[in-house]
Amino acid sequence: MLWLAAGLLLAVCVLCGLAFGGVRLSFSDLWSGAGPAGQEARLIASLRFPRVLLAALVGGSLALAGASLQALLKNPLADPFLLGTSGGAAAGAALATLAGISPLLSPGAAFAGAAVSSAAVASLARRGGRLDLQRLLLAGLIANAFFSAVLLGVFSLASSEAARSMLFWMMGSLADASPAKLLALLPYAVSGAAVLLLSASRLNLFAVGEENAAALGVNTERSKALVFLAASLLTGAAVAFAGVIGFVGLLVPHAARAVVGNDQRLLLPLSAITGAALLVAADAASRFAAAPTELPIGAVTAAIGAPLFAWLLLRNP
Amino acid sequence: MTPGRSRRAGPRAAPRAQRGKDAASYSGARTPRAPDYAQRLPRRHYPDGLLAGLAAGAFLVALALGAPACSRRSAPPSPAPAPASLAARVVSLAPNLTEIAFAVGAGERLVGVSDFSDYPPAALAIPRVGGVDVSAERIASLHPDLVLASGDGGSIRGAASALASSGVPVLAVSTTSLDEVLAAIRVVGARLGRAEAADELARRLDARRRAVAAKTAGARRPRAILLVWPDPPQAAGGRTFLDDVLSRAGADNLVGGRPGWPVLSSEWLATAPIEVVVVPDSPGNRPVFDRSFSTGPLSRGRVKAARIVRVDESVLTRPGPRVFDALESLAADLPR
Amino acid sequence: MSDAPALLEARRLEASYGPNAALRGLDAAIPAGEIVAVLGENGSGKSTLLKVISRIVPPAAGEILLDGVPIGSLPRRETARRIAYVPQSAELVFSIRSLDLVLQGRAPYARGFSADSDEDRRRALEAMRACDVEGLADRDAAALSGGERRRVFLARALAQEASIWLLDEPTAGLDPRHRFQFLEALTREHRARRTTVLLVTHEIELAAELADRIILLRDGRALASGPPAEALTRESIREAFAVDARVDHYPGGRPRVRLEAAAPGRGPGA
Repeated sequence: MLWLAAGLLLAVCVLCGLAFGGVRLSFSDLWSGAGPAGQEARLIASLRFPRVLLAALVGGSLALAGASLQALLKNPLADPFLLGTSGGAAAGAALATLAGISPLLSPGAAFAGAAVSSAAVASLARRGGRLDLQRLLLAGLIANAFFSAVLLGVFSLASSEAARSMLFWMMGSLADASPAKLLALLPYAVSGAAVLLLSASRLNLFAVGEENAAALGVNTERSKALVFLAASLLTGAAVAFAGVIGFVGLLVPHAARAVVGNDQRLLLPLSAITGAALLVAADAASRFAAAPTELPIGAVTAAIGAPLFAWLLLRNP
Repeated sequence: MTPGRSRRAGPRAAPRAQRGKDAASYSGARTPRAPDYAQRLPRRHYPDGLLAGLAAGAFLVALALGAPACSRRSAPPSPAPAPASLAARVVSLAPNLTEIAFAVGAGERLVGVSDFSDYPPAALAIPRVGGVDVSAERIASLHPDLVLASGDGGSIRGAASALASSGVPVLAVSTTSLDEVLAAIRVVGARLGRAEAADELARRLDARRRAVAAKTAGARRPRAILLVWPDPPQAAGGRTFLDDVLSRAGADNLVGGRPGWPVLSSEWLATAPIEVVVVPDSPGNRPVFDRSFSTGPLSRGRVKAARIVRVDESVLTRPGPRVFDALESLAADLPR
Repeated sequence: MSDAPALLEARRLEASYGPNAALRGLDAAIPAGEIVAVLGENGSGKSTLLKVISRIVPPAAGEILLDGVPIGSLPRRETARRIAYVPQSAELVFSIRSLDLVLQGRAPYARGFSADSDEDRRRALEAMRACDVEGLADRDAAALSGGERRRVFLARALAQEASIWLLDEPTAGLDPRHRFQFLEALTREHRARRTTVLLVTHEIELAAELADRIILLRDGRALASGPPAEALTRESIREAFAVDARVDHYPGGRPRVRLEAAAPGRGPGA
């Protein structure tokens, strides 16, 4: 029943994502494909379809990474963005662009940046052999400051042409979705998601506390490394192709938690589905709201996310 | 450093009193982007926005970056041009203002120019005061008695307003339409002691403009967009001088109803009835535009099939005297 | 004294946890089936000992033997099936149903990504019934009182089917009723299941009354070890806690300890 509802939500959002955008898409024209109207409809669909899929992959990845980190760190504020993972990924991808590496390989560079950032943040936050949560958030702040400095450096070194394109990517955009990029993203998303979903039971133990997990037979060091790595994979891939999109990783797990509670075996997949649905809908709104201009997707997620988050906060103090 | 020249002492009423065709030169409030936007934006605005974004959220990037495009505050009003106070040592903070100074025959009065001032060639010999990050101290050390600044230029607002409040006369010049360009020529000419030459130049340019209008009158107006950047595709929208150029050259700007510099979606580009795409052409730009037309966001649908009209970038994108060359060449090249 | 084969044995154990709690070469033996109380000042290493045994903290040197086998050489899941840890207090950030918390005791038996089996559920509910917390099964554990929550954690140790229970200050902060309920459940289930209990406490009187064996720690080493009547003397208490106590011995019974005055010369916690 739950999964039916979640699947339905995603399906509705995907249909909306296909139906709404910069121009109107007539499904009957799309179906018949006849005449100029039909050709145009097919053209629009061919532009929109990879984009909707990309939005779903990115949204699902970010939400899943956020939900996993929240459980792992026993902190409802954990999020790839706050912990500096996104910043590291952005710096990695920007450096790769500066070095002239193919854009299709940039998820690799973004993943490397995200992993470096995660490792640095985790070791900064370590105190007396334990991950200290307050230090973790502070370390995320430091990492964000550092990586924004790296980005500034890359921007000033890059040609103004490259910098301009980088800028729009940074603001968060799904505009240049293509089947090739989807294929390049898929392995990262699938492997990262698989690791996290298979860690769900262990994450349940972490959600009560790291010592709790250790006492119940979990190799906590290995699990933490694995989850951090998988979350970095997902974040890196998402940032590489869609820029920095905030709030999805933070908000979606909270919303999902309000529905299914805190069992990660339900929460993680539900977060992934809800995140996918949310970003597909947000992307449709970003295309629709100010057509023919597109709003930055990050602005849309923040506009949806911030009030919702405030509401959640007020509801459960 | 004379306290009497403080920001408040600047006679705000004076420009308003003579609000005629020159008034636009002093406005700047709510006027769109600086003319050499295309060169400036990447280097300066982006990193600012990014810093804010990484610190506080991706949405802030958007806000910080959106800000320069849609909200603009002018530099503090500059002192009224009194005929007696002819400027002898002038610093120009924008390439189009440098060109105007040379065009009215006052190029020899320039003691400092912005890094982007590469026309006429004589401008290359003048000391540079920085490109985007113009240094107020460097400018002050040249002892200018007049600083020419884009009145709508977000990036030089800081230095220009610092100079103004420390007593250096700053003339904020707005050039968001061809009318404003003509007015700017007259005002700059008057301040540099070349009022007659400036009037003569403005009259000639206006005559050329009217000739173009006569030629295009009654002709079919192709539906066009003018892309200042291909990836993501960013066009000249309404209330920009490029919109003015495009429509006076005889085209209908498809995004003229949208003020500023809108980024266009691939869907719209693929399906909008675009007949002509005007692009600024330079050795640096061309590969980026070519890539966008072959595999990038301009490679699908209507925009791909549209006729491309290239205009030399430095002629087209700088609202100085040469933009009338761009007007003429564009009027000649547009398919009818 | 320690002739009985030890189930758990610490050998020259060194470990540190936090800024100022450390074990510095502890030797101790814990025979099967007994209730062993670990006493000592703050920072003497009591809680660290439990965390090393439950493999939360790795030892810096020395080793813990479980049935003569170094614990570090055993698979973690295997030791988790044999050793249950009941924390002093668990700060629950996320809400969790009490039943789900008890079901976590089944984690060392679970395989991969599987839902809880009916068998797990049955055992968990049975454990909750044994600890008188069955009625709390659907309540949010984060919203329970300290005493209720500690009994829920005890139920989890039962569900874990572990033969060794490690309890960190199980009675701290409990009102008399909850304290009684907890100790009652503990002793009843200990007897019924013949488990070995290692409990850390500050209550000398409680240890004297409840434990079969006392380990008195000072600065990370065992100061005294043995049945209460042997380990708890005026001298050992004075050395371990810097308090003067009156220890009344009864032939064949447990000693009664009454604290009288702080001893001069050493500040508490020094």
